[in-house]
Parts: sequence; structure tokens; C-alpha cells
Amino acid sequence: MSGIDEKEYRQICNFIFLECQLADEGRWEEWEELLAADMNYWVPINGEEADPNWDVSIINDNRSRLATRIRQLRTGTRHSQAPISVIRRMVSNIVMNEDDDGIVVVEGNFVAHEYQNQSTMMMNIWPGRVRYRLRRVKGSYEIVQKRVDLVMSTGKLPTLAFII
Amino acid sequence: MRDTTTPDIGSLIEKDTIHSSLYTDREIFELECEKIFEGNWVYVAHESELPRNGDYLRRTMGTTPILVTKTAKGIHVVVNRCTHRGNLLCPAPRGRKKAFGCQYHGWVFGPDGELVEIPFPDGSENLDKSKLGLRTARVESYRGFVFASLNHDVDDLVTYLGHARQALDRASDLSPVGEILLSKTWIQHSFKANWKMISENEADGYHVNFVHDSFAKAITPEGKYENVIKEDEEGIGSVSRYLGNGHTEIDYEVSYGAPMKWLGVKEDRYPEYTKAMKERYGEEEANTIMRKGPPHTFIFPNLFLAETCFVVIQPISVNESINWHTPLYLQGVPDKLNQRILRQGEPAMGPSAFLTADDAVIAERQWNALDGAPGWLDLSRGADREIEKDDGVLQSHYTDETSNRGFWSHYKSVFA
Repeated sequence: MSGIDEKEYRQICNFIFLECQLADEGRWEEWEELLAADMNYWVPINGEEADPNWDVSIINDNRSRLATRIRQLRTGTRHSQAPISVIRRMVSNIVMNEDDDGIVVVEGNFVAHEYQNQSTMMMNIWPGRVRYRLRRVKGSYEIVQKRVDLVMSTGKLPTLAFII
Repeated sequence: MRDTTTPDIGSLIEKDTIHSSLYTDREIFELECEKIFEGNWVYVAHESELPRNGDYLRRTMGTTPILVTKTAKGIHVVVNRCTHRGNLLCPAPRGRKKAFGCQYHGWVFGPDGELVEIPFPDGSENLDKSKLGLRTARVESYRGFVFASLNHDVDDLVTYLGHARQALDRASDLSPVGEILLSKTWIQHSFKANWKMISENEADGYHVNFVHDSFAKAITPEGKYENVIKEDEEGIGSVSRYLGNGHTEIDYEVSYGAPMKWLGVKEDRYPEYTKAMKERYGEEEANTIMRKGPPHTFIFPNLFLAETCFVVIQPISVNESINWHTPLYLQGVPDKLNQRILRQGEPAMGPSAFLTADDAVIAERQWNALDGAPGWLDLSRGADREIEKDDGVLQSHYTDETSNRGFWSHYKSVFA
């Protein structure tokens, strides 16, 4: 883990855990504060082969589109998240590295348990790998990219209207 | 083969009211698979997905697994199930093969369904191989859109498409070489609802202001939404249409004031494209095509041309359906234009989309509310103000149920 000491490793893990908690709890205003102005939020379906400019993605938001997504969630009439799903997610197996531009690249496995309480009333389980690109700012971090590769991305997916 | 326990579907559909059991009755679902998805034309593929001889795609017609294959003789559609013991013959979603060998006992079939080889032939020497080929469908295409029917005794495809043919033209003509292009990547969004709830929703303008009001609030409306997200009914110029044979449409043409507005860009954004279009169609026609934009048309029973998205509806069971989507790319255009098509469609369609995610949840609530609490549902809106045009197409206000009354009248005729 070049360029990252024990203390920073812990600090970055805490940052990721906070990001997950805010997303779980639908605390979107606080969640948005973690994002860089050039943030990309990407949920591809083809794994490593995915070309974001040719293959359709489940989500491929730039910062402005992500802002629209959050505004829509906050209207209260985003039916697929009204009420918001009850979600708890775990992140583990975290590894991190610093790239040549000083961006911290963090990867881990995750699983989100979603109680879909809008229509199907089912427990949806969303396992996958999450990758962050973090920029160091003022003693903390901002998220330049959050990429989520779902285990079942090439199969059928139920509605995924919360922030994964 | 009907018996006395078969539901009398005709009695469940009146001109402007339908019975909820049409969405929830398991027996009706089985009948639909037989009469609709095996009994008449169903969209199966686009030719751009099968560029070379030997290419194949694994698809479904209703709940029946099929293979769409291409050989020097053309495109074939065969049932993807070994005639020996019923194993799924080809499990891969797509690829290239000269023959399909069953992984269970090694029977080998050609891409046209012919049984070409049985391993250890001595023990099977009395078997008539000519009778054990894969079940084949009749196949026809229009502008590269491939349809198949497991019932060979049906009208030709062009007759079946009728006025909906113009929607396939409208999509294809946006390309300066006259063809759309589909990539290999599809997203599958599962709805725990009946397939007809998706099919009807495609050309239902009435729901837009309500199901999608959160989207309207979150964006600065532009393009078509400027015209249809309104409190004022009279201000909406877009129209709903019934095209015949179950095909329905919403036309946003009126809201596209200038060429390329459908893509949310200025008309001179892609000069190379504009030039190629004018060379092919002439200045005036090219401008008309680029102003009208892509269709928003549902082709019975499973194809939805959703402007910049290409959608196929797959029924799984009485209460599950998959909405497949991929970008509706154009051949012979700059990469940047196709990228814009991708970016335009991504937030509209799929499990995380600003639009379809909400449609799915509403359809699921609707299905749950109907199951076990049957009743009659109203479809009368606009019946007194729709007009029949000279060509027989029914047209009415954007929010009128002209489209879905037509859908159901066709559905009823299938079971008559």
C-alpha cells in the first residue's frame, strides 16, 4: 500500500464507512458533501470489459446528473424510494493504493441488504465490489469516482433506486 | 384445445373496461404464451446483432427458449431445446457456431434446426432423424428488425406491422445509411408485475405527470417534457395513437420545434451527420426526419421503440416480466452522436433510471393490489374525443386511453 501509512489507512476506512452509512440512511445532503465536483458514479454491467462510452451502464452519472438523482430522491414522490428502502451494507477486504496523480484508489467487497418496502416487500441482497478514487483535501477526502460492480449485473435486476 | 375450465377471455374485455384477472390469472398467462407469443409475430432480434454467418443469439419467445441464427441462407429461429430429452441446447447468450451439440447426450443440430448427427449411431439406426429436428419458426424482417412466429400460418410481417411499420422507418431513417445498430450490452430490469402492465404503460401518456412528477421537479424541463409536464391539459400537443394489431404510440413530434431537439442538442452539433443526412435524403426530407426524431412506439406484443432506447419485454410468469434495454444506436453516424444517444437513454430506462424505476414500483403495487381482489378497471378516458384518421389510425389527446383501448381490442381478437 504505497504512499499510505497505518494511520491514513484507518482514516480512509472511516471515510468509506461514513459514506456507506450516509447512503444507507438516505442522508443525501451529508452524502453529497463527500463528493468531488468532478465526481463520476458508475455502475457498469460488463465488469472489466465495460466501455462506458459504448456499453449501456446501470448508472453512469457525472456530478450534475448525480445532483439531479439526489434532487429527485428528495422530492418525496420518487415512488421507487418513497418510503426509502431500509438498507444496511457491509464493506470489507479493503485494499488501497496511491496512483501517480496522488489519488487514493480503494477497493473492497460489499454486500447491501435492502428491505424493499415500496412494492415487493422483499429482501434484496446486493453483493459486489466497490472501488473509490479519493482525492486528499484539507485533512480529509473527496470522492472522484465510485464504481460499483454488482455480482449479478449481467442478469436480471430488481429496481435499484437508492444510492448503492 | 379448449375445455370448460378455460377462462372466457372475451367476457373479460369490454370496449372501455377490462377485468383485473387478465393480469393475475395463471391460466390466462399460459394461454397468452400459446396464442400471443407462439401464435403470431414476436420481435426476436435486429440484423445488426448478427453481422456474420454462424452468429447466433439466445433469446425467448414468451417463455419458449429460442436461438436466432444466421447462415448463408438467411436468418433462422429455432427452439433452443434438444428434441431428445429437452435439455437447453445452447446456454451461451451469443456467439458463433456452425452446429449446436447438446451437452447431455451429444445430439448435434444445424443452425437451421436440422438434426445432423446422433453419437453411437448403431443403437439409433431406426430413428428417423428428419422428424427430430428442432422446432422452427417462420422468420421475416423489416428494415433489419427480425420477427418470428412459431405458428407458420400467419399474415406476412408487413401486413401484421401495418401502420407500425412507419415507426421502424422513422427509427431507421435517422441513420444516413438507413439502419439502426444494437450493441451487445443489454440491461435486464425485473418487474414483479404482469407483462401487459409494461406493454400498456409504454404508450400511456396519462401517467407521466403523476408517476414521473419527481423527475419533472428534479430537472429543468427541456425537449419533450416541456410540452407534456403541465398542469394545463389544453397545452399538451403530443398525441396518443392506436395503430392497429395491438400496436400503440405516443408522438412527441409536436414538441420538437427544430432538428435534433429530440437529442437535446442544437441542429449544427454534428455537421458531419447533417451533411450525410442531406446527401441521402435531400435537404427538406433530411430536416423533417431530424426534426421529427425517433418514435415512441410499442409493437405488439414485446417491442418498444423508446426514442433513444430499444426495449424488449419478456414475460417470465404471471407476475414477473423483464424489461430489456439497450441504446438505439444509428449506423453511419459520428461516435459522438451515438454517445449522446447512450447518455440520453441511460437515465430514462433501467433499474436505476429516473423514469422506469418508478414505473416498476407502480406496476408492482398495481399487480399486488389486483391479485386476490379482482374487479373491473376503467379505460374510458378520451373515448368521446378520439378521432379516426383517413388511414384508420385512432388519435387522441396525449393523456387519453385510445392506445390501450386499442391494445385490448386486439388482445380480445387474438382469443376470439
